[in-house]
Amino acid sequence: MQQAPSLQLHTTRECLGLSHRTRTLMAELHIIGQIIGATGFPQNSLFCKWGVHTGGAWRLLAGLKEGQTQVDMPQTGDMAYWSHPIDLHYTTKGLQGWPKLHLQVWHQDSFGRCQLYGYGYIHVPSSPGQHRLQCATWRPLGSWQDQLAEMFVGGGPQLRSPDLIYSGADRYRLHTVGMGTVELELCVILRHFDRYGVES
Amino acid sequence: MSSPSDVREKMRKKRRELQESLGRVRDDKQALVASDWDLSQDNGHTAVEMLAGGEEDPGEALRRSMMAKRMKKKKKLLKEMPVESPPDEELTAVQEQDRPHDDDDDDVQPVRDLPPRPAMRPGSSQSENTMRQRMTEKLRAAKSKAASLLEQESIIEPASRLQSLRDRETLTRFDRDTDPDLRADEDSSFTARLKFRDVARRATTDKRTEAGLPTAEEAYNFFTFNFDPEPQQQPRRKKRRPGRREAEEEGEGEAGEGDGEDEEEGEEERECEGEEESEARDEDAPLVRDEEEDLFLIDQSAQDFLEVRRAEYVDYSRRLQRERDTLFVPSMRTVPASSKLAENVRPRYLEEEGLYVGERPHVGLTNQNILENRILKQGEGRKWFGDDGRIMALPDPIKESSSRPPLFHLEDELDPALQTAYRKALKSKHVNLYISGMGDPQSDYQLDVDVSGLIFSHHPLFSREHVLAARLAQLYDQHLTRQHKSLTRLLTDKLNGLRNTIHNMLELHRGEALSQVTQQRMAEYKQEVRHTRQLRDVEQDKDRALLKSIIRVWKELKALRDFQRFTNTPFKLFVRREKVEREQDEQECEDDIMAEVEELQAETEEDYQKKMSEYRRQHEEWKSWKRKQKVLKKKQKKKRQQEEEEEDEESEEELGEEPEKPDPPEKPDSGSLEEQVREKAARIRRKPGEPVLIPELTVSGPVTPNEQCPRAEFARREDVSKRALFIKVLYNDKEVSRTDSRALNMDFRVHFGQIFNLKIVNWPESIKLQVFEGVGSSSTLLVEVCVPVPESSVLTGSAPSEEMEFSSNQRVTFNHEGVGSGVPFSFETDGTSTQTLLTSGKLSCCVSWAVGEDDVPLAPPSSQPGGGMYSGLGQMDAIACIGASSLNDMKKLGKWAAESRLDPNDPNNTSIMQLLSVVSGGDVAVPEYFRLEQLQEEFNFLTDEELQLSRRFRLLRLRSQEVAEFRHFKCVPSMEREISQKVFQDYEKRLKDGEIIDTKEHIDSHRALVAKYLQKVRESVINRSLIAKHHFMLSDVVSEDEVPSIGGPGAGVLGWNLFKLAEPKRPLKPHRKERKKVTAQNLSDGDIKLLVNIIRGYDIPVRRLHTSKPPVSAKSGRSFTEPFAAPVLSQINQQGSEWPFGQPLIRPFVEVSFQRSVLQTSAAEGPNPCWNEEIVLPFSAPNGDYSSTSLQSVRDEVFINIFDELLSDVVEDERERENTIHTRIARHWLGSIKIPFSTIYLQSRIDGTFKVSTPPVLLGYSKERSLGSEGGYDTIRSLSEGTFLSLFITIEPQLVPGDTVREKMKEIKFDSQEVERLLIASEVFEKEASRHFPDRPCLSTVIDINGKTVFVTRFIRPLNPPQELLDAFPNSPQETAELVARYVSLVPSLPDSVSFAGVCDLWSTCDQFLTLLAGDEEEHAVLLCNYFLSMGRRAWLIIGSAIPEGPTAYVLTYEQNRYLIWNPSTGQHYGQYDIFCPLQTIGCLINSDNVWFNIQPYAAPVRMSFDVSKPKLWKPFFSRSFPDPGLSSVQPEALVYRRTDKAAAVELQDRIEKVLREKIMDWRPRHPTRWNRYCISTLRQFLPKLELSGGREVAEEHRLELQSLLGEYTISGFPLHLPFSEIRPIIEAVHSTGVHKAEAPNVEFALAVHVHPYPGNVLSVWVYIASLLTAQ
Repeated sequence: MQQAPSLQLHTTRECLGLSHRTRTLMAELHIIGQIIGATGFPQNSLFCKWGVHTGGAWRLLAGLKEGQTQVDMPQTGDMAYWSHPIDLHYTTKGLQGWPKLHLQVWHQDSFGRCQLYGYGYIHVPSSPGQHRLQCATWRPLGSWQDQLAEMFVGGGPQLRSPDLIYSGADRYRLHTVGMGTVELELCVILRHFDRYGVES
Repeated sequence: MSSPSDVREKMRKKRRELQESLGRVRDDKQALVASDWDLSQDNGHTAVEMLAGGEEDPGEALRRSMMAKRMKKKKKLLKEMPVESPPDEELTAVQEQDRPHDDDDDDVQPVRDLPPRPAMRPGSSQSENTMRQRMTEKLRAAKSKAASLLEQESIIEPASRLQSLRDRETLTRFDRDTDPDLRADEDSSFTARLKFRDVARRATTDKRTEAGLPTAEEAYNFFTFNFDPEPQQQPRRKKRRPGRREAEEEGEGEAGEGDGEDEEEGEEERECEGEEESEARDEDAPLVRDEEEDLFLIDQSAQDFLEVRRAEYVDYSRRLQRERDTLFVPSMRTVPASSKLAENVRPRYLEEEGLYVGERPHVGLTNQNILENRILKQGEGRKWFGDDGRIMALPDPIKESSSRPPLFHLEDELDPALQTAYRKALKSKHVNLYISGMGDPQSDYQLDVDVSGLIFSHHPLFSREHVLAARLAQLYDQHLTRQHKSLTRLLTDKLNGLRNTIHNMLELHRGEALSQVTQQRMAEYKQEVRHTRQLRDVEQDKDRALLKSIIRVWKELKALRDFQRFTNTPFKLFVRREKVEREQDEQECEDDIMAEVEELQAETEEDYQKKMSEYRRQHEEWKSWKRKQKVLKKKQKKKRQQEEEEEDEESEEELGEEPEKPDPPEKPDSGSLEEQVREKAARIRRKPGEPVLIPELTVSGPVTPNEQCPRAEFARREDVSKRALFIKVLYNDKEVSRTDSRALNMDFRVHFGQIFNLKIVNWPESIKLQVFEGVGSSSTLLVEVCVPVPESSVLTGSAPSEEMEFSSNQRVTFNHEGVGSGVPFSFETDGTSTQTLLTSGKLSCCVSWAVGEDDVPLAPPSSQPGGGMYSGLGQMDAIACIGASSLNDMKKLGKWAAESRLDPNDPNNTSIMQLLSVVSGGDVAVPEYFRLEQLQEEFNFLTDEELQLSRRFRLLRLRSQEVAEFRHFKCVPSMEREISQKVFQDYEKRLKDGEIIDTKEHIDSHRALVAKYLQKVRESVINRSLIAKHHFMLSDVVSEDEVPSIGGPGAGVLGWNLFKLAEPKRPLKPHRKERKKVTAQNLSDGDIKLLVNIIRGYDIPVRRLHTSKPPVSAKSGRSFTEPFAAPVLSQINQQGSEWPFGQPLIRPFVEVSFQRSVLQTSAAEGPNPCWNEEIVLPFSAPNGDYSSTSLQSVRDEVFINIFDELLSDVVEDERERENTIHTRIARHWLGSIKIPFSTIYLQSRIDGTFKVSTPPVLLGYSKERSLGSEGGYDTIRSLSEGTFLSLFITIEPQLVPGDTVREKMKEIKFDSQEVERLLIASEVFEKEASRHFPDRPCLSTVIDINGKTVFVTRFIRPLNPPQELLDAFPNSPQETAELVARYVSLVPSLPDSVSFAGVCDLWSTCDQFLTLLAGDEEEHAVLLCNYFLSMGRRAWLIIGSAIPEGPTAYVLTYEQNRYLIWNPSTGQHYGQYDIFCPLQTIGCLINSDNVWFNIQPYAAPVRMSFDVSKPKLWKPFFSRSFPDPGLSSVQPEALVYRRTDKAAAVELQDRIEKVLREKIMDWRPRHPTRWNRYCISTLRQFLPKLELSGGREVAEEHRLELQSLLGEYTISGFPLHLPFSEIRPIIEAVHSTGVHKAEAPNVEFALAVHVHPYPGNVLSVWVYIASLLTAQ
């Protein structure tokens, strides 16, 4: 008498599990965090353009994958704080092309002109949890004429195709100078990755 | 093993012994050993010398001699002592005393030398003790002195000791049990050592101690010293204890409690100096006890607890001393090899054994010694030493030369591949144009451009002779090249060869049957022969023609020379004849012809055979068909008797088409063949026997000198000699170099012969040569020649010079002999047969890649076709290796290989064959696509389809896409199974049904289509506006309080408002305060309320007495007609009926309904009631979305209805009337106001007096007043027709209106077809206007329905109204105008802001408007304005703001010296001075020519002038400075109206009536609804009349009529008039009147609907609804 219902329960649960498995559970990735700010730049009136680049297997379910922060002009200290939120929800059918974050730090001078201060690129961590990241940035140096012009009239060399930040072919020909670092805080939440043999 | 207690016991004993014998003098060995242990555990002690040895085990004798040596050493070292140097005598004594010790030592030695076992340990120490006792007296002084110096003595040391030391070390390490014992030893030896030093010091001062009897002395000292330093001693000890303890613990690891005392004692001894220590220990316990006693004395004062001490100071020497005790300074002396190696081991030098040993890093000898000494002192010190006795070391890692060599000295030695070249930074643009693609950045490339010369085939300065000469030269060139190629001969030879082969083959197989293969080959050969023959014929023909034309041109040239009598060109043509032998030639020719004929015959025969066989086959077919036909016909004949003929034909057809009867082919005619061949031969070949003509062109002919030429020719030659030419070389469109300027010669050939070396950095895209021709200093571009970029295999030296032909189409004419260019000229004198020649010529040049000095081609790698694109296909290389680098079409290659019949066995062809086999084999197929992410698929978790299946993801995606159904999903379940498929049902249905619109809801199919179209437009506009929505302005993000400004209109807070403070307060005239605005984002249901403040009403219709029955009026008023049931009221009524005005009373109240919530005011009295009540209605946004766009698109309307409250007495028993009130409340609808919510939202408040829309007929009510009884004011007021209501409506909290979206839309430029200048001007105009008059709307450009910006005047154009409207009142233009206005107002109104939610104002043209049958005020106004214009009136569009619409458009007309303002949405018109005109502000006037902005001080129509010609009052858009460019209209030429189907109207009428009836019954669920059919039919008759009269006063007669018909009923009812768009608004309107709420038991209803069709599907709907009460 007692055995029968428990057995039944068991089988139903199994059925559920089976249906679960047949209805494939897709891997999901949440990236929640913020671009905290930047430090170490020659000037500190900065803003940042950012974007997330993924491979073809990834699909954005919700959230903005690119954006721009406000201009922060810190009164004290070197660090410009943006605290710009990033909230992305991805699903994927493959591991290739894990999301990577590319940044452009811009400087707005007292005349309201904006000039590029650095390109940065960083992989979104693949382990779950909270991560505090520091993204070093660089900037094309240009010729001495460029540098001279930059000193007096601002502006400066920029990449014609900013894709180069993450596509990264032939970059050795670029003469760059290191700029400051951008600090980020990203929480990575993985879901169902273990179903596909990705252990985290 | 002895137990710890035993050990302790022994130790105590030992110590006592020691102390008795003043235990300071010890065997130095013992001391050393002890201290060595100490070192092993606790570094920094003095026993380094023990380790210094390290040699193999020496014999006893050796050891003894060593001992002696050591003693000598000690003596020497004594002199170096930092303390006072001892006298020499003393030292000798020491030495002497030392000797016996050594001897004695021998006895002990065996014990010591034995590797001591743990068990042996106590015994050995005992033996030591006994020995010590013996030794003490002898060795006291000397040994103690020596001990202090032992640290320095490190060079010579007996090896045996070392070993014993080592063994002991292991013992201390591994045998813990012996520890206490050892420590005792150690302690004692330590104290002893310390004491030695003291003694040594004292020895210098006190000779007596040296003498050998120190016991008394020592004892004395012990006590004397103890007294004095006691107070200091004690605290010092205490203070030091922790530190010491630490040291102790570090060193010994474990210090049992039981050992505590011993330790302390040991420590004391160690720390204290000299003999006093031992006593100090004795004194210790009592001292402490004393102190304890002291502490408990009460009478002691503070001083007793305190003591004054001097600063603690350890003097320098003592400190040095102490440091020396604790610190270890390794010696700088060389360590003997023996001590570094294990015993009995010889140093082994790997180097000598032939093994490679790297060079060690250099370390200074001193440093090395120090290090070695130090290491040896450490535990396991020897492991650091290698086999050769040196410290183990890796070879020196530092290379001799730096691995990153400085650039200056290695320029030559460096591998050329590693050499770097400095390049300037370039802009990133050129990055991908670099040739230096992969890994070869420093090689430089060089292009050599060789410009050798230029030959003109035509030049404007050519004379006629030149033209001919050039032609001749050209033909001759052709001839030469043909001769050079000698194709004809080649083909002839081939033909002969082929013929021979066939012949041979036939010979070979004569008589035998030809095998299949041979036949095949024969056929092929024959085919080949035919082909070759044809080719040869063509070539021969060409040769012949060329020859002929050469001779012809030469003849012409000669003729010309004769004619003009001078020669310009040196050309001379000789024709050489070569005789041929006639016989042979004829024979050959004949042979050839015969062979050809033969072949042709064979061919034709073959052809014939083929055709014959074909014919036979076809014939056979035909025959069989015929047979079938016959059979069939026979059958049919049988059938025919039964069936008709028609079927016959069909069956005949079934057999199929009759095949044509084939014709037998013609027999070929061999005779004609031969003729043909002969004729052809005569045409294209030299006749047999004719000499062979060989033309030869020479340039040796004389040219007539200039002087002898006619003037024109002379001028030409002059001109030629002035000309000079040069060539510019352009590389990638940049001039890189140019040739020297060369004069043009008479023969029009220019030789440059210059080579330009171009070092290139960028990939060559184009190389151009520009030919410039100049006269004097000016030069013109003659022509541009593009030279192809050479293949990288084309190198200088091997590349042939190419001749590039060029031509230019310049027109040049001369007035001299020059023929010019591009102009017709003629050779004939009469000017016939003209021809036009263009400047042309050949440029011979050569572009090739240079070859470097070391024969390295300076060409870029060929793997970069077209600017550095990397090909991912490996096959490309295979092709490149063949040498055909540009060949990449495999199929073509394969085809070519098959066609050219490559020999597969030829080694030259192997690569191609291999390639082909690979390609055709298919295993390495060249993919036709490029794949971005390789291996992606292999690693995919799942497929796309599976990903698509996920409902959760779909839901998430749709939500983030803001699809309307999913936009407000706050949470999405995390599990797939929690999402039901139903979620998407609505969405999918909507997607599916997007096309189909339910006709049931729209009733009219046309309107359904319109709705569909509107939906589409709306979607596209919304999509367009999505950009705008995500385009944030500062005000969207930052909410900023306005900075208080001084002055300024309205906003000035500090300016005028300061003065306002001083104003007297007027509490009776309150002002509405501005409220703080709330952004709509964080609101939820119930937060927003609609406040409707109903203040008062004017001129509400009053109940009417039944004039038809005046006698019973009072009575009926009481009973049923005006059933005032309340007795009080009835009394008043009675009174009222007696009023001089004769006016019955009315109790109006206002009911406000919004979003199905209905609230009402209390009932007031009289026709001009004052309610002053606030009604609060809740508001909920659709889907709970409170964003501004959503709020703007709320379609709900606020219905404000005025009712008359009727109280009817239902007390049936009159007796009860005294004490019972039993009334029924009924209400009668009087009128309503509709205000859309969007208007309220956008205007944020609505304040004013509004006209109540009342039905034209209101049964039972009238607005009539008794005449003559009213004052002057009333007469004025009576002018205003209608009822008015003062209202104030607002939203609480005040929401920020969604104007921002509109603003943003303005920022986003819509594409436009207007001129840029016009757009800018309009922007300026609007900006200017809004700056000066911010409250006056100004409009110059609008957005049409396609989303394009259009100038507003384009919308105004006279357009014809429907003809039947014009025909209706042929005599009265005013009535026609009213009818037209009514027609326009009948087009349903649909505000843009609702349909295109918050996007923008879209203007549609009139035809679109009439097709859509929906639009807002602007469309209505435009249509009306256009109608008026076509009717010949002066009309303008007014852009202004009105109540309650807000910003709107009206129409202004001017006629009979007065201005009329028309409201296009209602069809009403107002005079300019009508105070009740809803138009409040006039912003601008628009007609088809111009836009005028109102710059008058007042904007209200009453106070302004409409004379637009006054520039002070109206600012025109197009003015003299910016005239009207003549804009064409966007409106159509004329409007075409479709006659509306009357039947459809009737049908619609029935349907509406049916629906309404059902609805009314639905609304009365608790009561039966009776319909009065008689009344209905009566009403139905009235409705068309109402329509005809346009709803104007027909009430009176109508009412009378109705009254007479329905005398026994009390009727209250009214007709409603609506434009038709959908059925829903009609139902709403009927519902809002509340007629259905009549609940009297005997109530009956009447409902009639009339639909009047107007042209263009405009429908006017009348609904007559009435409730009837039976008269008793």
